[in-house]
Amino acid sequence: MIDLPSRKKVIREFQKKGGKIAAVLPIRYPRELFRAFGFLPVEVWGPPHADVTLGGSHLQSYTCDIVRNAVSFLLSGGLDRTDLILVPHTCDSLQGMGSVLLDFVHPKQKVLTLYHPRGVRKADFDFLTEELKRLCGELSDWTGGEPPPGAFWEAIYREETADRALARLYRDRELLGLSDREFYRIVRSREFLPAEDFIENEKKLARREKRSTSGVPILLSGIVPEPMDLFDEIETMGARVVADDLACGTRRLYKSGHSEDPFVRMAERLFSAPPDPTRGSPISERADHLKNLIRKSGAKGVLIYDVKFCEPELFDVPLLRKKLEAEGTPVNYVEFEMGKILSQQTLTRIEAFIEMIG
Amino acid sequence: MTESITIRGKLRYQLAVNVAGRLTLAFRRRRNERKTARPGWSRDVLAPPLKLSARMKELMSRHYLGGRYANGAKKVAWVTSGAPIEILKALGFYILYPENHAALCGARRKTVEIASEAENAGYSRDICSYARTDIGAVLSGKTPVGRLPRPDVLLACTNICQTVLYWYRVLADYFKVPLILIDTPFIYEEAHAHDVAYVKRQLEDMIPAAEKIAGKKLSFKRLKEVVRFSREASFLWLEVLDRAKHRPSPITAFDGFIHMAPIVDLRGEPVVIDLYRQLLKEIDVRISKGIGAVKHEKKRLLWDNLPIWFKLRKMAQTFAGYGANVVAATYTYAWGELAPMMDETRPLESAAQTYLHPLLNQGTGHKLESMQKMVREFSLDGVVLHSDRSCKPYSLGQIDQRDYFVNHAGIPALLLEADHNDPRSYSDQQAENRIAAFMEILEDSSNAD
Repeated sequence: MIDLPSRKKVIREFQKKGGKIAAVLPIRYPRELFRAFGFLPVEVWGPPHADVTLGGSHLQSYTCDIVRNAVSFLLSGGLDRTDLILVPHTCDSLQGMGSVLLDFVHPKQKVLTLYHPRGVRKADFDFLTEELKRLCGELSDWTGGEPPPGAFWEAIYREETADRALARLYRDRELLGLSDREFYRIVRSREFLPAEDFIENEKKLARREKRSTSGVPILLSGIVPEPMDLFDEIETMGARVVADDLACGTRRLYKSGHSEDPFVRMAERLFSAPPDPTRGSPISERADHLKNLIRKSGAKGVLIYDVKFCEPELFDVPLLRKKLEAEGTPVNYVEFEMGKILSQQTLTRIEAFIEMIG
Repeated sequence: MTESITIRGKLRYQLAVNVAGRLTLAFRRRRNERKTARPGWSRDVLAPPLKLSARMKELMSRHYLGGRYANGAKKVAWVTSGAPIEILKALGFYILYPENHAALCGARRKTVEIASEAENAGYSRDICSYARTDIGAVLSGKTPVGRLPRPDVLLACTNICQTVLYWYRVLADYFKVPLILIDTPFIYEEAHAHDVAYVKRQLEDMIPAAEKIAGKKLSFKRLKEVVRFSREASFLWLEVLDRAKHRPSPITAFDGFIHMAPIVDLRGEPVVIDLYRQLLKEIDVRISKGIGAVKHEKKRLLWDNLPIWFKLRKMAQTFAGYGANVVAATYTYAWGELAPMMDETRPLESAAQTYLHPLLNQGTGHKLESMQKMVREFSLDGVVLHSDRSCKPYSLGQIDQRDYFVNHAGIPALLLEADHNDPRSYSDQQAENRIAAFMEILEDSSNAD
């Protein structure tokens, strides 16, 4: 097993080398653009241990926990070591967060936003390319300079290599001999490790002969599997995660681009991601993608594990369930409130589902 | 899966809507006009309802009656409330606004019954209550308007929220019809050139798609005419709302909520222009006679966010009972304030600007500035911010907006927790207590002055 450093340690070491830190909210953004400007993107998916009362002074209780926790974390000083905050316009809650930070909270960090279009038409693609140029211009204005010559392409190639490494991890997951928790710790280290370190770590992971594994195979869908104890619990219940449709997981398996224009290439990569409601993908397309994952992985059921008040996910659930169950795949939807521990109610629902499909 | 237009369908539409329907609805309107007050209307604190309400009701009933017989007679589009409808209107589509239909269900207290159908099908109570009402109506066929027409196309514009896109993806899957998306990047500070170009390009791309469904070419002459009608109606609507600057105000924001249906649903049709001209005349008569919509107007308030549709009258009466008139609302104003951006000589360019700039597609700071402006221009004493569980884009930011009014502007402000359409997320007792406490603060603040 690889000894993964903590986010704090990664941040400290990157800063020691003269680098800057960008705190990035979910889901999509061009990592390479930030690296070219000397920033390490460190993603903020909550976090689950934040004191939500702080966020409550700006956001109503019906805002999703990822956003409330992130604002709480910021206000409690959790992002003090960061230089910049990027809030991609992923949903109405993140829209609200970006706007409230810019207009009212005024954190010490520079706040930037990014609009990812909701379609996959040529007009959407061209818009995204222009939007990436705008973001680059803002970074350039704020940092007072352009990236060094060659830095753009170096960063693009490095991130593409890291994404290929991530794809290999998923491809070889049965050969790695890792528990689900260990596997997702490594997958999720892509959220904060420099790409070069992630690539090295992936290389270090030995592949073994595929062994027969026990446990009911399930596909895990949702935004983020927090707290990570979830995986231990699933294992204790006699199941294992064989595939995922997580926003922090395979929904960000970006392919390498082809263009020789760096902005077009970054847009190509972002557009290559699997279907996702936050990108406006048709529900049938997402259902077909899940069916494909189920077929390839041998999953016997789908556990949709979603943070409360996540509208993009909530709208898809009934039709996904209908379409998957029509093909004989049971689906269980579990909603959770982001916190340090999993509620007994959540665990009971997951356990009952695993028993049912086992 | 679209329905063909047939001679039989057209004939049926003509007879049912333009002959029998017109006569019946005109008869009902005359009967309503003779009534001096609505049932349950508190005449002690409120002036009688506007007489033109009966005419507006007739117009909207005819619109929904048209929907009942539209399939087979016209191509039907279901659209989001902030969508650029002028192209569809110019192509002769019958246009249905599911949000308006949901609001109508709310006002008639039908939401719980209809939304439950969606909830039983797995749609969470945490999603927008408009969406649940609409999906429930689709799944069950339940509606207070008789029947909703089946769409031939869906048009979703993200300038009010992302929710509409999630919702219309569900509808597209259910009806198996094309979904046209007009994606409008959110304006945190100011719109960029590429934002405007993006919206314009989508409008251009929409034309051949809509023409294909309509089975005819778009006439730009007709499009310009529709834009002119939209612009004129939007200006008139703004004039109607601006009459509330008079003291006492001849109208309340609740009158605005009731009379906004035509500017939302029938924008681009000359009948809306005619209606709002008449409405202005009636309001001006009130002004000339010194009639206030609230009989003893002492305090003037701003309402932020959608109304609580199932408590419109109750809210109007509760505030009026304290001598408070909620004279203005950011929501009703949003349907008029973009009128100057509409330009019939540049229909697509101006539509790109117009539909990119609704209040809801701009930052929380911009909304605060808009509210501050309204507080000044309407001489307001306080602000009521409806924290609407079903509308995050409108509601997020309200805590800071409220804090600004209270702590920096010295304007009392109330954050009222409710939902625009779902009575299960609302408590009469709690709302009354909050309003009572707020009115005390308002009273105290004026005594201190």
